[in-house]
Amino acid sequence: MDSKQERELHKNAKELINQISVVLRTSQIHDTNNVALASSISRLVAMINSLVSQENILALELRGEFFYINEYRIRYSLEYLLNFDFMVREFKKRELGNVTFKGQIRSDDIKRFIKAFVDASFSQEPFSTIQEEMTNVRNIDVGVLKKVVEDDSLDVRKMVKKTYFNAVSFTQGVINKIRSGEKVNIKKAKRVVESMVDQILEEEQLLLGMTAIKDYDEYTYHHSVNVSILTIALGQRLGMSRRMLTDLGMVSLFHDIGKMEIPNEVLNKPSNFTDDEWNIIRKHPVWGLKAILKLKRFDDLTIKSAIVAFEHHMNFDLTGYPKARKKINIDLYSRIVSVADQYDAMTSARVYSRTPLSPDKALSIMMERAGTQLDPLVFKFFTNMVGVYPIGTLVMLDTRELGLVCESNQLFPNRPRVMIIVNETGSRIKGTIVDLTEKNEKDQHIRSIRKTLDPNKYSINLAEYLL
Amino acid sequence: MEINEDLKAARDIVQAILKSKKIIRMYPANNPIYVKTLEDSYARFKDYFDYREELVFKIKQNEINWDAEPVYVNPEKEDNLALFFFKDGLRELTFKRGLSSEEMEEFLKIISMDFEREVVDDDIVTLLWERDFQSIQYIADDAMLADEDNYQDRAIQEVEEHTNSPDNILKAYQDAFDEQDVVGDTSIVPLSDVDLQQLMQMLDQEGHGKTEKLVDLLFELPYLSETRADYEELTTFFMSAAEFIMQRGDIAIMNSMLSRLSGLISEPHIDEEIKNYFRRVISYAGNSSIIKLLGELLDSGQEIEDKVVEEYVKYLDKNAIPPFMNILGELESIHARKVVIDALIFLGPKDITNLAKGLNDPRWFVVRNIIYIFRKIADKRAVEFLLRTVRHADIRVRKEVIRALGELGGGGVFQTLRECLEDQDMQIRSASLRALGTVASEAAKRIIMDKIADKAFKDVDFEEKKEYFEILSKWKDREIFAFLVDMLKRKSFLFGSAKMDEIRACSAYALGLLGNKDAIPVLTKTKGDSSKLVREFSFTAIKRLEHGQ
Repeated sequence: MDSKQERELHKNAKELINQISVVLRTSQIHDTNNVALASSISRLVAMINSLVSQENILALELRGEFFYINEYRIRYSLEYLLNFDFMVREFKKRELGNVTFKGQIRSDDIKRFIKAFVDASFSQEPFSTIQEEMTNVRNIDVGVLKKVVEDDSLDVRKMVKKTYFNAVSFTQGVINKIRSGEKVNIKKAKRVVESMVDQILEEEQLLLGMTAIKDYDEYTYHHSVNVSILTIALGQRLGMSRRMLTDLGMVSLFHDIGKMEIPNEVLNKPSNFTDDEWNIIRKHPVWGLKAILKLKRFDDLTIKSAIVAFEHHMNFDLTGYPKARKKINIDLYSRIVSVADQYDAMTSARVYSRTPLSPDKALSIMMERAGTQLDPLVFKFFTNMVGVYPIGTLVMLDTRELGLVCESNQLFPNRPRVMIIVNETGSRIKGTIVDLTEKNEKDQHIRSIRKTLDPNKYSINLAEYLL
Repeated sequence: MEINEDLKAARDIVQAILKSKKIIRMYPANNPIYVKTLEDSYARFKDYFDYREELVFKIKQNEINWDAEPVYVNPEKEDNLALFFFKDGLRELTFKRGLSSEEMEEFLKIISMDFEREVVDDDIVTLLWERDFQSIQYIADDAMLADEDNYQDRAIQEVEEHTNSPDNILKAYQDAFDEQDVVGDTSIVPLSDVDLQQLMQMLDQEGHGKTEKLVDLLFELPYLSETRADYEELTTFFMSAAEFIMQRGDIAIMNSMLSRLSGLISEPHIDEEIKNYFRRVISYAGNSSIIKLLGELLDSGQEIEDKVVEEYVKYLDKNAIPPFMNILGELESIHARKVVIDALIFLGPKDITNLAKGLNDPRWFVVRNIIYIFRKIADKRAVEFLLRTVRHADIRVRKEVIRALGELGGGGVFQTLRECLEDQDMQIRSASLRALGTVASEAAKRIIMDKIADKAFKDVDFEEKKEYFEILSKWKDREIFAFLVDMLKRKSFLFGSAKMDEIRACSAYALGLLGNKDAIPVLTKTKGDSSKLVREFSFTAIKRLEHGQ
């Protein structure tokens, strides 16, 4: 298949998923004889048959949060985002993992599938209902949703760690090199960020988990990498291309580069800053702009990085610093970095009040700032990304178990995956991960969050659990 | 296919890659050698994939292996394909069945790039990553990215030193029962269609206006600068910005930047020392590298409004003259040259001496353009430089300079123009005659009259004689009238009468051009002259005078 054909297939695949979603949504309102639904079904049949005639077989599979068609991962596209999300949610609800179309299909085949799909939502065993009702439909096979096997993720976890620490080490090297007047290797920086982009695209939750660990000695370098990871993840939610994500990751990595000019005694001061010290701190965006412009010859990336370094504390409503004489429209990248920067800084030690906030507390403070300091739309996407309980939140479950949120759930934001650290009898345990979307035979959730606690209050080191 | 055949096929593919890499660097894509080489390479891949699903190359420092067998070995540092891949961390390269010729060509283009050049900011892994090939995969070793060996182990060890105290965790557990229930007070508002529309608008705008934004930010810096070093730094930023802006062809942004700098320079409250930094930037905006970029832009065929370039030129100082002259000879499009000539016409008066250096250019057309620029500037100070060019080897230059001298005039030009009237080349003589006519002074008139009055004039070619009289008729005064009437009335002698009649005929012609009807009686007489030529010219002249033709 040449690249043009591939692009065509990818486009058709996206449209197909969208059309399935349209049909399933409409079927929740109308019965299959409705004119609007019938017309949507006809369109879907034509799309499926066209793809089947090209590919012989059409296998639609849900893996994690992504759909694959004939083994090709179908990337999210902004225009279909809501329909994609709907599909993921509804497939998961019914434990439906894949649908395979073999040979030419008819409208009646789709109507049977729709009926099975709708019936499954009222069933205790949704997938079995679908499977049973589809038994006599020869051209469509269905398969159950595969659970994520924890053991398989060991190597992935190793790779994610490697990517993360390479990035931190590189950032440290960059700062040292700039300080000593050496040349910085931008090619390497791009490689570092590309690795992070890959990991976000494939293993978003694991890499986001790395940003929740805050007990490192070298805050500045970890902060830069954390902000870079958070912005790449957010950028992905915003529908940015791989290229844009790399740019965003790069500008974020260098957003605080001006801080290297701040004397260590100020930067690492254990008590609150004086007014004079704040004045020095407030200069770092200007120093950042200058440092970046001196780094290499001007190009698009240099300019984007310089803008973000200058603007990331200016605030959405321009109440921040530095104060500009001319009215400035804050750049999109700066608005994104500003959200990620605030979140990581608030949940880390040594900045602001010097007492780190729990992730959920930080989010609630940031929510008050949405529309003033922070771009409300960007923040809305951010909260949808990190969930009500971001990774690292300490939670008490209604089962009397204490756990740490280790993976958020985009579709059910209040039902993340949680690592249990104290069991219901009050004994410390390590490593059991539970999914709060799991239900018992009575269709009731097995576990729910009862309250959140501040992990910092108890000096809980997340690294022990999340690394 | 047997293993040995596969090995041979893999070797052939490596050789094809090596050959293609060289050819792509040497020839443009439409060259038959380029096309043939790529077709051959693709044929090798296709043959291989007739029997196999994928082709995996393992990369070592000086070796490329296929199925543990070396298919390429090179211990040298130069032109070593294995090392070329290895140094960027590439450790495995896989081509899969389904590889399209477009993908192969893209891949070959990537590996043919000159990575040693400063301007390539990406290594081979980044370029492969960005291209996101469907049928070409790779494994890269990222260990080289870490700045410190074993950083990961050290960092993990450090963080693990802060071990959790079992007491603290159990305390948290106990407190959880005592504390009031607090369940996430952040509500997640689901995304709506309106949000997505807003987002699409935001993303559409992303990428636009970054350069303007940077310029805006640079103009914030003067107000945040305190020391001389700050201003020095700011000056270099503005200079780099100017270069970048021209590279992007955003001349309007350049104009805006230069206009704002000029504005600062005219601010009375800004210190003169600071203003000098801004002046340096303006001067830099017309330096050779920026003007060269402008030249490339003008030659690229990209649509650029002339008035935008004109505005840019208005901000420049005299230092921009040599760079503009340099590109004048390099530009290919006529329009581009015209724009540059217009720029020099504007800038030239700021430094005539510098502009005159262009007259020494070895390319005749550049010299002619510079002379043209001097003509348009019309500054008499140019005469002294132009006079040195009159003996130029190229006749086109000589004609242009003579024309310029005529237009500029002044006492200094007569000697040269008089000499040029004696030149061996008829075109030079003619140009010089016309130049004298353009000068239109008494002295010029005298030179022409003397020349006509000279005995030797009768031997001049008829057409040339006619031209002399035609030029002379521009002086519509009594002296010329009398001179012409006198010439017309001169008697012909037997010996050389035909030559003399030519002069008389030309006099009749010039009297007609002069437009003075007092000449009609004389011309009426000569209308019956024995010379046919005189008769005809007298008749035509009378008609012209009577009917104003």
